[in-house]
Amino acid sequence: MVSRFDQQKTKHQLFHVSISLATILICMTYMQYRRNWAHLGSFWDSLIVPIVFIGELLKVILARFFGRIEDGVLTAKQRQKKAAYFTPRELLGGLTLQFLCTLLYAFICIILGAPVLANYEQTFVLSLLMTLLTVSPTVFLLGGGGALQVCFCEKPDFITKCEDTALHLFKYNALGGILGAWAGSVVAPLDWGRDWQAYP
Amino acid sequence: MEEHRSRLAYTFYMLTLFLGGAVLFLIGFFPASYSVAEKEPFISIHRPTTLYDEKLNPPPASYESFILFLIDALRDDFPTEHTMPTVNERACLKLSLHVDIPTVTMPRLKSITTGTLSNFIDIALNVGHTEQLDDSLLHRLKQRQAVVSFIGDHTWVQLFPSEFTRQVANNDSFYVNDFYEGDRTVTSALAEELEKTDWKLLILHYLGLDHIGHVEGNDSPRIETKLREMDDAVKKILDHKNMDNYLLMLTGDHGMADGGGHGGNTPAETTVPLYLYSKNCSKYSSSTKRYNQIDLTPTLAVLLSVEIPSMSIGCLIPEMLQSLTLEDQMYAYFYNAHHLLNKARVKFGYESVRRSDYYHWYQNATLLHKQLLKPLRAGDGSGASNVHYQNAKLNYLRVAREISAQLSESLVKFDYGFIAVGLTLTTASTLHLLLSVLFLDIASEKLRLQNFKAAQLLLSLVIGALLNVACHLLDIVLTSSMLNSLLLLVPIVASIYLSIDVIQALTKIALPPLYARRLKLSIPLPIPLLLCFAIRMGTLGSSSFIEYEYKTWYYLGNTLLLLTAFKTLRRRITKANVELDGRHLYKIASACLWQQRKIFVVLLLLVLMRYLHRLSAIKSTLMLFSLLMFWARLRKFTNTPQTVFNGVAFVLVYCFRGLNGQVKFVELPSYMVGRILLPVLVLFWCCVALVFVLGYRTVLPQQSTGKNLLDERPKSNLLKLLQTNMTCSLILVALLYKVQNVVLLPTMLITLDETYKLCDAYGSTARKFSVRVVHVYKIILTLVIARMFYFYQGNSNSLSTIDLNPGYMGQTSYNPGIVAFFVTLNTYSAEIHSFLYLIVHTLRTDLRSVGIIQLQPPYSRAIDTLVMPMYAALVLLPVAFYLCLMLVFRYHLFIYSVFSPKVLYDCYTVLVFYLVFLSTSLYFKFFKHDA
Repeated sequence: MVSRFDQQKTKHQLFHVSISLATILICMTYMQYRRNWAHLGSFWDSLIVPIVFIGELLKVILARFFGRIEDGVLTAKQRQKKAAYFTPRELLGGLTLQFLCTLLYAFICIILGAPVLANYEQTFVLSLLMTLLTVSPTVFLLGGGGALQVCFCEKPDFITKCEDTALHLFKYNALGGILGAWAGSVVAPLDWGRDWQAYP
Repeated sequence: MEEHRSRLAYTFYMLTLFLGGAVLFLIGFFPASYSVAEKEPFISIHRPTTLYDEKLNPPPASYESFILFLIDALRDDFPTEHTMPTVNERACLKLSLHVDIPTVTMPRLKSITTGTLSNFIDIALNVGHTEQLDDSLLHRLKQRQAVVSFIGDHTWVQLFPSEFTRQVANNDSFYVNDFYEGDRTVTSALAEELEKTDWKLLILHYLGLDHIGHVEGNDSPRIETKLREMDDAVKKILDHKNMDNYLLMLTGDHGMADGGGHGGNTPAETTVPLYLYSKNCSKYSSSTKRYNQIDLTPTLAVLLSVEIPSMSIGCLIPEMLQSLTLEDQMYAYFYNAHHLLNKARVKFGYESVRRSDYYHWYQNATLLHKQLLKPLRAGDGSGASNVHYQNAKLNYLRVAREISAQLSESLVKFDYGFIAVGLTLTTASTLHLLLSVLFLDIASEKLRLQNFKAAQLLLSLVIGALLNVACHLLDIVLTSSMLNSLLLLVPIVASIYLSIDVIQALTKIALPPLYARRLKLSIPLPIPLLLCFAIRMGTLGSSSFIEYEYKTWYYLGNTLLLLTAFKTLRRRITKANVELDGRHLYKIASACLWQQRKIFVVLLLLVLMRYLHRLSAIKSTLMLFSLLMFWARLRKFTNTPQTVFNGVAFVLVYCFRGLNGQVKFVELPSYMVGRILLPVLVLFWCCVALVFVLGYRTVLPQQSTGKNLLDERPKSNLLKLLQTNMTCSLILVALLYKVQNVVLLPTMLITLDETYKLCDAYGSTARKFSVRVVHVYKIILTLVIARMFYFYQGNSNSLSTIDLNPGYMGQTSYNPGIVAFFVTLNTYSAEIHSFLYLIVHTLRTDLRSVGIIQLQPPYSRAIDTLVMPMYAALVLLPVAFYLCLMLVFRYHLFIYSVFSPKVLYDCYTVLVFYLVFLSTSLYFKFFKHDA
């Protein structure tokens, strides 16, 4: 049992989960501190997006850190791919992908009942948050093209072992984010406005 | 290879049994009348004349003449200084009355005259059937040979066929397009009646305001003119020379909801004003106090000097008794408290009444009352007696209020026998149908669900008979006659038979004879669909979710569409990507996205539909555009001559709306409009008939010549007939729909079409192709889309949103059959037509090539084995579940305001589906073997 915790993979997973938990805790503390939740959805006046962004960035750095250890055992293709991450082309592709994703999430929000234009800022922040939670980590890790391939190919061969672990974790992250957002808005018909239902 | 067997007959039987069960449940849940169950022999109908051996004199009538001026749907905020100046200025007193649900006319009239709460099911009886009452203010007045005159709506005459001395009734109370004619008759009859002076009570009932509300909504400019007209009528009465010692009461029977309808329980509907006028009133006072509408009855009884009707459970309204002497006031309070106490004794038993609080208050009050009698009769109004008086009055009032509240709570009675039988029948038939659909392939052989078993029937007959006798002996079920008891045997036997089947099947499924050969579901159940269905069932338990049911449907429907679209997209990209090994991914992704652009456009359209009610500014353009789209869509289902007549019919629809002034049209003088309107409608009907005849004619030559059409595939006859039917009813709906709703029709067809394409793509891109997955997706998505469009149209779970206008389209009188047909067709058009569209689509898919050819078994064959039974099962399942929930929630606070209207809607949905199903199945039966 003890030996399992010594494995690289398990360590990686544990650190990853603790970063997630820390992000959530910081967000909750921040919400508690702000009291008035009406401003949480505004872009300039809320720290939620930066906090989540830093959290996700830390997770990517973690994956990179563990990835360094296995640098010696990479195949030629993996090396070649890795070198290509920081070319301007890949960077641009990644940014475009994230931007498109944000638009897509905004579209979904509107289709599922968000007001079309009235609260555009809140809708935008929500879709930004969703993008940060779902697409961004993968893009930061693998670049735009890599992320697309992971999404649509059976199993690309340039993925290293460590990246595979991280991708699994990111997948659960994304699924949880989407399902949570969806389930959170099913209850919209409940009349939260009534005084006995309002949050204290 | 499964044997092809039609399940239509079986499904039909199950639906019939379900409906029977639902009717029994409704009878048990909403007993038709309270009075039959509780005859009260102990309450003396005469007024008490002694109090502790002290003699009491019932007071004489305090006014010579009484006028009850009822304005239908007079909402509390309608009479203002601006709209009704006379009414406001000259009133002695203004009160607000709280109206109980259901807020429709007939139950309200019953409440005003008898003083009892009305039954929820009266809302259904409001149209057409009316039972006569046993006892009311009017009966009491008739016993005393007082002259009662009535002018107004004929609902009163149905309720009281022989109680009026004179009556002038308008016979068209449900013809809502009549705004002025009926009211004019009332006003002119009123003038005649004012000349006579013999009447004691005059009842006036004006319907115009209600009709305007139904047709044009509560912010129509005509409402103001109508209120002005009512104001003039009141003025006429007040200024008349014969009016000397009178009491005029102006009130509404119920309010008006914000959309203009009524029947729900919003404050706007349940609050009505009460204005009082008399000659010698001291001053105008406006009281903010709210009383119940049923309080009017005992108060009026006291003022009229008649007995309080035996069923009355109201309190007195002290403000209305100010004109009486103190002694008479005391008598009035005493009499009402006495009456209520007697009712409580009958209801709760003597012993529990004697131990209750209110009995002590009552004793207190009567003692004080007795002490007061002497000083009062001596004419002594000193301070001490005034204190006593106030004390006694307060005690009497709180006794009355307490008992009244308790009685109205305990008025609810359920007939558990009927509820149990109905619920068993509905649940058993639903489960039976569901199991036979889920275990499609083995239902008849292994589970033996659809086979008829004589021995089992005999067994259940015996058990049913025993149960029936036992229940009658134990007084669980009460029926009025022997015949009814025998008839009750049928549902009992049916439910026992079905239950045995279901239990047998369930045990077989849970405990298979050989563990290795577990019985497998024959139908794939995708998790997202299942989850959405489960959430939808779960939301039925919450009153907020029921009030805003449309939000649930929009959310779930869009989620399902999005999810399916994204899954298909991903599968497509993955499939295309396999060969290219990760290169050109951007291009592939964008190409696949472009392939699916239509479904995203449809989703955007669905978003747009949510804002339909805001588009009234461009409704003319919108209507033209949507009629054009609709015509283009329908071309797929019609041949050329039919298409031409379709077009003509749509032009006529636009003309009709234009002539009515709802859309932009050539300006015509009004006398011309009146003349043209009728020919336009006649022409429209001719077009519909022509389309119909042309559609049916294409079937005929094939039968006679037979050979020259050999290349046509079989079943196309059936398909043609069904297409014609659908086209005709869609054209008709285009006429009935509201102007801005017409756009929903083409949108619905487009949405369904694109959804089916999506489902095909979804199925064909799967690794293992299965026809049944496609069928299941199509069925469930059709159901969801049907509900979405049902709510887009403006329907809700409140009875006040039923749109009555289409019922009177082009009619000049009230014809219950036609009105019911039109209103149903208009309200349920989305559900009816999406079902028909699914059938037509499934039949057509066989004729053209989908891309997936050579299916085994053929695609369209599933229509009577899978599609229709499964659709039926999915329609029934939530309703059956909801009926069970109703039983659990029977003492819920909102049971009559939120849950009960929904149950009526649900049962009616099943009925409508049943009729559509029946007619479609008949076509299948007759034309299947035609070719």
